[in-house]
Amino acid sequence: MTEMQKMKKRKRNAKAGKRVKGSRGFGGTKSGGPRLPNSLLSQFPVLKPHNGGLGTDGNAGVDDEDINSDEGEIGGLDVYEYDEPMPEEESMKNRRYDHVDNFEYELPEKFEDSNVSSDDGEEEEDYRGFKDIKRSSNSDVLSGNETEEEEDDARHDRMLQRITELPAEVFESRPQIRNVVSEAYLESEYNPTRDILDGSGHLTIQDLLNPVQGKPVYAEFRKRMQRLNKKSLTLQPPLPKVAQENLEREVAYERSKKDVTKWEPLVKRNREAPTIFFDEDINLGFSTVGAITSEFEPRTDFEKKMAALVHDSKVAEAHKEDGAKLLELNKISLEDVKDRQNRLAKMRSLLFRHEMKAKHIKKIKSKTFHRLLKKDKEKRRTSIDVQMDPEAAKELAMKQEFKRAEERLRLKHKNNNKWATRILKRGLAVQDEQTQAAISEQLHQHALLTRKMNSMKDSSSGEDDERSDEDDDDDDNLDLGMKSDMASKLLTKAKEKTFEVMEDEDEMPKSGVFSLPFMTRSLAKKSEDARAEAKVALEEYDLALNQHDTDVPNNLNKGTSSGRRVFGASIKQPEESSHVNNNIGRDSDDEDFETNKNVNVESARSVSLQKGVQIDIDKLNEEFDVGQDFESFDHLVRGNAPKTTYESAVFASGSWTGKKNPNVAGSTNGKSTGVAQHDSSYDNLKDADDNDDPESGEEMVDGILSSSPKPDYELPSQADLIRMAFAGDDVEQEFEQEKIEVLNEENPEPEKTLSLPGWGQWTSLQEKYGLPSWITEERENAKRRRDEALSKRKDAHLKNVIISEKINKKAENLHTKTLPFPYTSKEVFEQSIRVPIGPEYNPVTSIVALNRPEVVKTTGVIIKPIKFEEVNPHEKGSEQNLNSKRDTPKVKKNKPNNGKVIKTTKTAKKKS
Amino acid sequence: MEDDKDSELISPPVAAKKDALDELDSKVKKYLRGSGTDLEGLKDKKLKGQLAVREDLYGKSAKAAAKAEKWLMPSEEGYLEAEGLEKTWRIKQESIIQEVDILSSRKAFDMILPDLGPYTLDYTSNGRYMAVAGRKGHLAIIDMHSMDLIKEMQVRETVRDITFLHNELIFAAAQKKYPCIYNRDGVELHSLKEHGATLKLQFLRNNFLLASINKFGQLHYQDMTMGEMVANYRTGLGRCDVMQVNRWNAVVGLGHSCGKVTMWKPTSSAPLVKMLCHHGAITAMAFHPGGHLMATAGQERRIKLWDLRKFEVLHTYTGNAKSLEFSQKGLLAVGNGSSVQIWRDQSGDHKYSRYMSHSMVKGYQVQKVAFRAYEDVLSIGHSMGLSSILVPGSGEPNFDSWVANPFETGRQRREKEVHSLLDKLPPETIMLDPTSIGNVRPEKKKKEQPTKKESEAEMQAAIAAAKSAPLKNKTKGRNKPSKREKKKHEGIARVKRPFLDQQMKEQQQLLKKKQRIAKIRSCQNLFGNSSRSSSDIIS
Repeated sequence: MTEMQKMKKRKRNAKAGKRVKGSRGFGGTKSGGPRLPNSLLSQFPVLKPHNGGLGTDGNAGVDDEDINSDEGEIGGLDVYEYDEPMPEEESMKNRRYDHVDNFEYELPEKFEDSNVSSDDGEEEEDYRGFKDIKRSSNSDVLSGNETEEEEDDARHDRMLQRITELPAEVFESRPQIRNVVSEAYLESEYNPTRDILDGSGHLTIQDLLNPVQGKPVYAEFRKRMQRLNKKSLTLQPPLPKVAQENLEREVAYERSKKDVTKWEPLVKRNREAPTIFFDEDINLGFSTVGAITSEFEPRTDFEKKMAALVHDSKVAEAHKEDGAKLLELNKISLEDVKDRQNRLAKMRSLLFRHEMKAKHIKKIKSKTFHRLLKKDKEKRRTSIDVQMDPEAAKELAMKQEFKRAEERLRLKHKNNNKWATRILKRGLAVQDEQTQAAISEQLHQHALLTRKMNSMKDSSSGEDDERSDEDDDDDDNLDLGMKSDMASKLLTKAKEKTFEVMEDEDEMPKSGVFSLPFMTRSLAKKSEDARAEAKVALEEYDLALNQHDTDVPNNLNKGTSSGRRVFGASIKQPEESSHVNNNIGRDSDDEDFETNKNVNVESARSVSLQKGVQIDIDKLNEEFDVGQDFESFDHLVRGNAPKTTYESAVFASGSWTGKKNPNVAGSTNGKSTGVAQHDSSYDNLKDADDNDDPESGEEMVDGILSSSPKPDYELPSQADLIRMAFAGDDVEQEFEQEKIEVLNEENPEPEKTLSLPGWGQWTSLQEKYGLPSWITEERENAKRRRDEALSKRKDAHLKNVIISEKINKKAENLHTKTLPFPYTSKEVFEQSIRVPIGPEYNPVTSIVALNRPEVVKTTGVIIKPIKFEEVNPHEKGSEQNLNSKRDTPKVKKNKPNNGKVIKTTKTAKKKS
Repeated sequence: MEDDKDSELISPPVAAKKDALDELDSKVKKYLRGSGTDLEGLKDKKLKGQLAVREDLYGKSAKAAAKAEKWLMPSEEGYLEAEGLEKTWRIKQESIIQEVDILSSRKAFDMILPDLGPYTLDYTSNGRYMAVAGRKGHLAIIDMHSMDLIKEMQVRETVRDITFLHNELIFAAAQKKYPCIYNRDGVELHSLKEHGATLKLQFLRNNFLLASINKFGQLHYQDMTMGEMVANYRTGLGRCDVMQVNRWNAVVGLGHSCGKVTMWKPTSSAPLVKMLCHHGAITAMAFHPGGHLMATAGQERRIKLWDLRKFEVLHTYTGNAKSLEFSQKGLLAVGNGSSVQIWRDQSGDHKYSRYMSHSMVKGYQVQKVAFRAYEDVLSIGHSMGLSSILVPGSGEPNFDSWVANPFETGRQRREKEVHSLLDKLPPETIMLDPTSIGNVRPEKKKKEQPTKKESEAEMQAAIAAAKSAPLKNKTKGRNKPSKREKKKHEGIARVKRPFLDQQMKEQQQLLKKKQRIAKIRSCQNLFGNSSRSSSDIIS
């Protein structure tokens, strides 16, 4: 066998090893495993010589790859060159290999690693493959020479046997003879033996036990060792991790499968249950205050003290008894009382002092307060003084004079100071309101102080006062007197006054603000107005005076009506005069009303005219009974002139009616007053009668007719007849037409554009070949679609019915947009909601069940994980649930938990 | 109550003879409201389970309800039974009155009010109060329990119709120019001028709407809580004085002079249904309280019964009717001339036949017939006043005080007012089939293109989605905020692009169209001018 061949063979073997499983068979059970207990190892030397050659090879295999290859090479070379099975003997002589023999069992891990990494370039794909590799690599070298060597051995033995005729056993032990090779150095810890250097300092348990020999522990150890040796079972090599896990998972899957399937009926039941209850167990532990307090344990010092006192056996005993002892226990020492009193006294004094302080502080007022107070006081004092004491008044005057003088000198309040100038420079309009106010205030102050003081004897004001006094006097006189001559006096006085006023007004002020041009203009205007008024007044006075003279006192009223404006004081006059007049005569009252109506001043002539009217009215008054009208008119007149009195209202009504119906006023005897003077309600009634519907009239006729002996025939009214006459003109055809229209509107006919000549094709072509096929097709399609739509209509087969197919957008919200999730057909959904579930439609017994939610749970209740219970998988879960909604407290479903379980099963499956 | 009193003439109920179980079954069926879902066809196991549970609950509920009905509502409506050759319609009111107890016999009366013209009337929903309106302005409210006149007044105007609003405190009268609302004391609360000269008034109780039809055929709906005018539609079919509300779905039916019946809801300007019922003008119409049956009377001497589910005629009878009315139990009163007939559905297949008849003094013209709820009484308003007759089997014998309580106290009335206001239904709930509320929305006609608004909304949604889309964490250099921002913007732009493209395309199309139109116009102008000029030349 060439070396190359050998190598190849080895490789093949390595490969074959993957395939061949039974390669373990070689070394018997003892040599196969890489990891053997030490007890076995100790026996190993017995075997060693037997498979020495093999051992070397095996060792070489076990050893580093280099060694292996070297060895292989050497072996190969030997074999190749000499062609003898000699090298075994030779190698036997080499002591090193013997030791290597032992070494083999020390490093199984390393062996694995090296093998994986270097020897077999192929990566292991599978556990089995890996195992094979390992086994094969373990045995490949052996197997390399296996057959020949064995044969050689056997041959050799047989040969020896034949020669020596000795039993085979003798030769078997032959390899035990060792050739001792002396070391180059002394064996010591400094010169370790070769095998130690090579890493196979090999210790057996026996070695370890040797030192303890003879000690009492030894027997025990030995016994144990023996036991171990006795039970020396060959252990399988542990499976690689991947395979182990794989197996584990397999088993786990089986188990969990079993575990999970037992839940299945339970889960199924819960899934099928329409409602799941979670609130069975609602025991929350403590519920009463007593229960909570009983658990209380004193922790702080204070609490402990309290507890000690409370739970004092003496106290408790005293309580248990009549309680008399409690008093004894309650004794306080004198010191304690004193202490307490002292403490209280101290506290009280502190409190008192604090109070006093607060009071004091409260009394303290600010500087400004005092200043203001002082000012106030001063003011009060001066005002009083001035009033009471001429001296003080003088003093005050002096003071003020002084102030004024000072102001004139210093011009402090003029806008000269820094603040004011600054503000003015910046512009007053820009300033905020307060600044503006301050500036104006200052100016005002200045004006006040610098104004030339008016002397006390100002002529105009004095006169005014006088005059007003006079007026008052006059009024008084009038009030007292109430006589006609008084009136004339008054008039004359008024005249005088107006004259005076007119004269006064002529004087124009020549200086001050009023001298400004626009002021003068306005003043002039005013005065002119006033003068005009005064003139009018004067005229009136004249007139009044004249009339007064001719004993017509009522005209005074007119004068007053316009004179009112001029004199504020004379407002009272007309009323009073009217009072006077009422006493005098009725006709005057009438006129009073007239004046109230038209306010313009009337001349004497108009008065005479009025008189003419008065007569008429009087006549009228005599003629008709005013009765009811009176009140209504009274209201009206009051509305117009609230000052008129009761009597005047009566006659005012007369004139008012005259106004209303002018023809009546014009010709008193023309129409009967009764016609004009309708009772309003009556009038309305009449109106209603007049305006009554013509139909109602007809109906009345009907009513009369109805008493005629023909009961079944009702004479129709003209309108009805006409309606009937034109109604039934071929209604059916009309209806058909209408239906067609509606159909056309709701399902419009297909477009006609396609039939236009030349549409989509040249006209000439179209003429030749007719319409192109696509057009006809499209048309047909459209027509068919329309026909389909029409045939689908509800009224398709009803000749005389049109049912609108319009979709009501507003009602769209009342329908579901799409089919809800689990449903797949509309019919099923609609059938499922056909029964109302409200309380109005269902008996109380079923209303709860109908509306129960999917999960019933009270807040705060802890949802406990699902518990296993036996459920008959074949029973109907829903029914049971229905029947015993609350009676089966264990029907629980824990969704999350279920989910978990399911998840695990899924994952297990995935893994496997 | 009152039915037990019609003792002798009324036999024990037929139903009692039937098997009790069978009866219960039928009741259960009623409460189940149709068949359950076909669970076999379902593929979704979970849904199947859920639905099975639901159905079970429904079944139990229905059973409980049926039992409750059986034990708590024992009264059955009575009816007249003839013996031998006797005919029920030959039995006179006098003989009925003789047989019934005193209390019931008092319910029949004649009130002669000759002056103020034909009378119309209306009952409150509990049948306790009656509002009476004479054509010539006579209004009155009567408490039918004590026969007290609560208020009587004269409005001195034509009054065409009267109706109670939600309770007896307020009523509306259609007067000459416009309807007015009065309270019980006769104080005019409102005048609804917008309605115009109304001919008929109807109050939709659940929706608090007052519906009116005026001389010009305009239908008005006014909300009686807020006063808002909900709808104003022109029927376009001329004057119309027949109006009835279908109490089941609150759809208003109008009978027109062209023989058409139209049905309206306040949220649609076009009628829901328009049907040609008669060749002559419609004179009266009535809806069965069940909502699926309608009776119409035409001027061509026909009375028809319609199935409103199929809109088909069930039966046609010959006869005139001035006024039609269905009772709570489904009797049909037909008032014509001076006689009133009551029809009854004996077999249960809507084949109405004559049950009773009553003729008043000759010459009286019936204006309006109205059944009193929860009583076996029919009131007739006619040209000479009011009459009231006993009609055994017309009223619902068991009243539900939650629905309508004839013995309502003031406190209960107030309570109920509040409740009914809270339960007020918006106008859009009025539709032909109110049971379809909650169902899947009917499919729209598919549009070729989404509207601008929709596309805008779509774009916004897409942009929002792009904005909120999470960004990946990139490696160090590429995870800068600026880069992230850029990336985000890019994403938004990418999302936006198709929409913008679409918009651009549309705009371009529009532009092209405009250009084309402009070109055509200019061409036309050109041609027109040239032709004109050519014509000029020729001339």
